[in-house]
Amino acid sequence: MKQIALYGKGGIGKSTTAANLSAALAGEGLDILQIGCDPKHDSTRMLMHGTWIPTVLDLIRERGEEEITVDDVVYQGFRGVRCVEAGGPEPGIGCAGRGIIATFQLLERLNALKGDVIVYDVLGDVVCGGFAMPMREGYAQEIYLVTSGELMSIYAANNIAKAIARLSRRARSRCTLGGVICNAKNIRGERDLVAEFARRINSRLIAYIPRSHEVQVAELHRQTVVEYAPESDQAAVYLELGRAIYGNRETGIPTPLEMDEIETFALEFIQV
Amino acid sequence: MKLKPSLSSSSRFEGCTLTGALSVLTEVQDAVCIIHGPAGCAHHNFSLIHATLLSNDRFKIPRLLSTRLTENDIIFGGEEALEATISRALSLSPAPASIFVLSTCIVETIGDDTEAVCAKNRGIPVIAVPTAGFLGGVFDTGIRNALHSVASLARPGVVDPTPSANLIGEKNLEYGVDENAAEIARLLGRLGIGINLRFVRGIGTRDLERLGSAAANILREPALRPVGEDLRRRFGTPYVDSFPVGLSGTLRFLDETGRICGIDASDAIEEERAYQAAMLEEFCDMAGSRIRFQTVHPMLGTDPEAEIVCTECARTLDLMIAPDGISVSFPHPAPVGTAGLRRMLHQWRLLIRGRAPEI
Repeated sequence: MKQIALYGKGGIGKSTTAANLSAALAGEGLDILQIGCDPKHDSTRMLMHGTWIPTVLDLIRERGEEEITVDDVVYQGFRGVRCVEAGGPEPGIGCAGRGIIATFQLLERLNALKGDVIVYDVLGDVVCGGFAMPMREGYAQEIYLVTSGELMSIYAANNIAKAIARLSRRARSRCTLGGVICNAKNIRGERDLVAEFARRINSRLIAYIPRSHEVQVAELHRQTVVEYAPESDQAAVYLELGRAIYGNRETGIPTPLEMDEIETFALEFIQV
Repeated sequence: MKLKPSLSSSSRFEGCTLTGALSVLTEVQDAVCIIHGPAGCAHHNFSLIHATLLSNDRFKIPRLLSTRLTENDIIFGGEEALEATISRALSLSPAPASIFVLSTCIVETIGDDTEAVCAKNRGIPVIAVPTAGFLGGVFDTGIRNALHSVASLARPGVVDPTPSANLIGEKNLEYGVDENAAEIARLLGRLGIGINLRFVRGIGTRDLERLGSAAANILREPALRPVGEDLRRRFGTPYVDSFPVGLSGTLRFLDETGRICGIDASDAIEEERAYQAAMLEEFCDMAGSRIRFQTVHPMLGTDPEAEIVCTECARTLDLMIAPDGISVSFPHPAPVGTAGLRRMLHQWRLLIRGRAPEI
């Protein structure tokens, strides 16, 4: 079983990438579980054709942990991808990080964490210990950073690399960086910039996903591109991403950059 | 960012902010205190306060409720649990005249808005008291925060024509609280000043309305100056910053209290001086004994006041302080007034007689 997690700046396209990745991998005949780890709970929506599935934390709140079965939290989406949404408290109250921890404990107890690949789709940044949960022992061993060529997005990716580096120092840690995914915003020289960033943090660009109108159209139809336009170039990109990740054997511990290093290196690229 | 308190601040006397606040608030007899946090935060405080009450022969049960938060409340926020517990408190029999809601470390961490929940009109005062210890507060901070909160229940008062004083911040968890209060009452009696309100010990919510009608506030110790200032701002009441400590300290206390109340204290001082002399006479048999002072326990350190008082008494009684003398512990805290010194000297004599070599 391969367990991977996607992290990156909010709004960068993690959920779109994760859903299309899951759809692509399922097309290869693999058993996929995708877990959305964000109180916004919209990670699996396209796989579920627009349906908002009940979140684990809503169920815990309404029924209590004891009354919950696997069928209450795991929903079959496109191509049989099993979908889970952690959910969270109402905005502005409680502790979402603790909610992620509680969700993982429940999924473990229900023996729900199984399949050929588990894809954890985590919110914007590793804001507290709770959101580092997918990186902890026994969960995702490969982290993929999703970023565009925008400086703020790279800065966020670098921050997450710091969390990976920190966690990897712990005894028994098996958390590594699998690679960097460039989800393009159509910035000039973007691919080279992100590839160079990946190299400098001791990783590599594992996929370049061009900006595509088809993604938007597919999402308006409440589907992944892989389902809506399976013959499209964009679908092919996700298929390639799936193969690259599933076959990835080169993972490592990142060496995050200092803030001024990021700025200097971004300047180099803008001058080119 | 609040820093960790120093090691000495984590000792027996200066620990949890919540405990400090409860030592004050459980003395509002018709109030209910709600501890907004996990059940354990209430349990150990209940045990401590209950045990202290019993060992002082006060047979009552502290009226504490806990919101008993569990993991779900932490994830989704504990405000609903607080709301439910306030309702429970309101339905108790006898009905509370006021409710104090004390926060704990975990609810401040997750950002529960305790004050907003308390602000709703429920017919009786529901007061939020900030008591999360990890924000840097210690036991004493809890006492001060609680005194500030209770003071908000008082009304601007008219000063009584007969001068009276409030006792502010008595240490409810120490032994001899009532003996100390009686000593202050005795001393103030020499000035013709009565006790208006013990703020806060064994009083009711309605009694708090009198808080502003005293001529002076007598603080238990100088650490309570912020409370004294707060009360001065609210009610214009001047304060003496400590209960009296030591022979000369007790005379100074009379002088200062008389001065701020506009009373000539010279007769009172002379009477007390004579009273002290008679008290010391009881212990003149100790003259010439060799003693040495030590701290009561290395973890506690020494109250600097106690050191001054002990040295003053030893000198007055012609005791010799010598390294080979009989070991006498500094009292903690320092004894209050002439009566406190008398109790201390009794202990000294027991030590000296018990250990003095046979002649």
